Amino acid sequence: MNKTDNKDKTTSIARVGSLLNRKKIDRVPFFPFSLGFSAKNVGYPIGSVYSECVRSFDAQLWTQQMYGHDQDPFFGSAVYGTSEFGGDVEFPIGDWIQSPRSIRYPVQSFEDIDKLGLPDPQSAGNLPKALEFSKMQESHGGLISLVVGGVFTTAGNICDIRNLCLWIAREPEAVHRVVQLAADHILSAARLWVKIFGTQRLLVQIWEPTAANSIISPRHFEKFVLPYQQKLHQEILGLGVKHILCHICGEQNKNLPLWGQVPMGDPGIVSLGQQVNLADGIKYFGAKNIIAGNLDTSLVAGGTANEVYEAAKKCILAGKDAPNGYILMTACETPSQTPPYNFYMLTKAINDFGFYD
Amino acid sequence: MNEHEAIQGVLSTVVSLDIDGVAEQVSAALKAGADPRAVLNEGLSAGMRIVGERFQSGEYFLTELLLAGEVMKAGLVPLSPLLTNTDIQGKGTVVLATVKGDIHDLGKNLVGMMLSAAGFEVIDLGSDVAPQRIVETVRKSQAKIVALSMLLSPMVVSLRSTVEEITKAGLRDQVKVIVGGACTTPGLAKEMGCDAHGEDAVAAVHLCEKFI
Repeated sequence: MNKTDNKDKTTSIARVGSLLNRKKIDRVPFFPFSLGFSAKNVGYPIGSVYSECVRSFDAQLWTQQMYGHDQDPFFGSAVYGTSEFGGDVEFPIGDWIQSPRSIRYPVQSFEDIDKLGLPDPQSAGNLPKALEFSKMQESHGGLISLVVGGVFTTAGNICDIRNLCLWIAREPEAVHRVVQLAADHILSAARLWVKIFGTQRLLVQIWEPTAANSIISPRHFEKFVLPYQQKLHQEILGLGVKHILCHICGEQNKNLPLWGQVPMGDPGIVSLGQQVNLADGIKYFGAKNIIAGNLDTSLVAGGTANEVYEAAKKCILAGKDAPNGYILMTACETPSQTPPYNFYMLTKAINDFGFYD
Repeated sequence: MNEHEAIQGVLSTVVSLDIDGVAEQVSAALKAGADPRAVLNEGLSAGMRIVGERFQSGEYFLTELLLAGEVMKAGLVPLSPLLTNTDIQGKGTVVLATVKGDIHDLGKNLVGMMLSAAGFEVIDLGSDVAPQRIVETVRKSQAKIVALSMLLSPMVVSLRSTVEEITKAGLRDQVKVIVGGACTTPGLAKEMGCDAHGEDAVAAVHLCEKFI
């Protein structure tokens, strides 16, 4: 919290640690999911938050210290899988482009799938940098995170979402193969992180925007996503990982009962998009997991300060008493162009409404 | 099979997303004596309209919409040589772009596909398009509609600049500006000076048909 309002009784690291251990906490934690915003906040190029470990870590840490939020620095992007499987990614250039994009997919035809091997997580794509970043997280003392895509998002980043969608109808076996490869790769990366960092402080972050119902039907989710995602989570948890932060991004209302079958940890953190009602999130995931979400990022970036404050208040009041706790979080990445005062209003709302008696 | 039944067969292949059967069905319709324009309008395009309605009602998803676009393309293979450009793109010209700073193009491409299927000439400028380039294209093409896409909320400023540049160039009375994309709303469209907001690719087609 900011200096004048600060009523915090503990540190962010201790607060999040207590929440994950189902212990009492002083207030609702706040995860702003702010990558590009943090870079801009400290005067770094937006692209540096995805491509330069030290700048990325510093920008996020300094922004965390400035606003008093609770999300330790993390390293990752929504194009996970493209460069890891041998494709090319372009990092954001200039002040406007917010996130990396895939510019050459490793798989462009069915034939390419046969040539696709399982990448070595020590050297694949952006993972060496992610490892370096995790070493910085380890020294910092907070959570150590491995950020990956969900199986369908990673598959879409391997062969392009458009192809993935067309192949669902035309070449379903190809989709199964790419999704399986994605799952195998994610598991191998998780194994590496466990080997190097242990499980005590490890948080595996899985971001899944591509399985949204604006793209695929729940029927296809059940067939092409659920079995792989479920098995992947079981295997990750089987390595001794205690917590998975699963970002169920976007419009996934029709998938919720299916996501409810996916284990997230003890407890996991389920992060929801603004399209999902927090009450529904609590219904499907709250009995076992911490709920996080789901501030509308368009509002955060483009609304008035008062609108942002009221929206944050609404989320806090809706989620605060979830059985395993709640984290105020944006529905997706906080836009890099968010007015700093709007960002401050989120911390103010936490301070005004987030404390427990 | 008479020509009406044959055209209905074309429509059915589109609606059932039968990419392997559509070209054969189009050829059968032509063989039955159907006018190529009727095969296009009452068969392929009408089928796409039904696909669009199913998408809007939640029965079809993006997967099906994309596949329908491929079915349409396959159906046009035997048909195109028999059609003029006016037959295929006779409804008017739409300049399509994702605004400056936004690199997402899946939604924009979908709009382009649906507009083409509905008979519009689409000038697709791609993603991350500078306002000036849109202005120049409108000027050269005499397009009546600019359709803008944006996924990310920070691009609101780009949307505003694009509308301002169109206005400064003296073209605002000549074109209707519509916008759509994940972070857009009717309120935002109005505030940014656009003429309308489209909830999805199907709505974009309805708007263009209304404005042409």
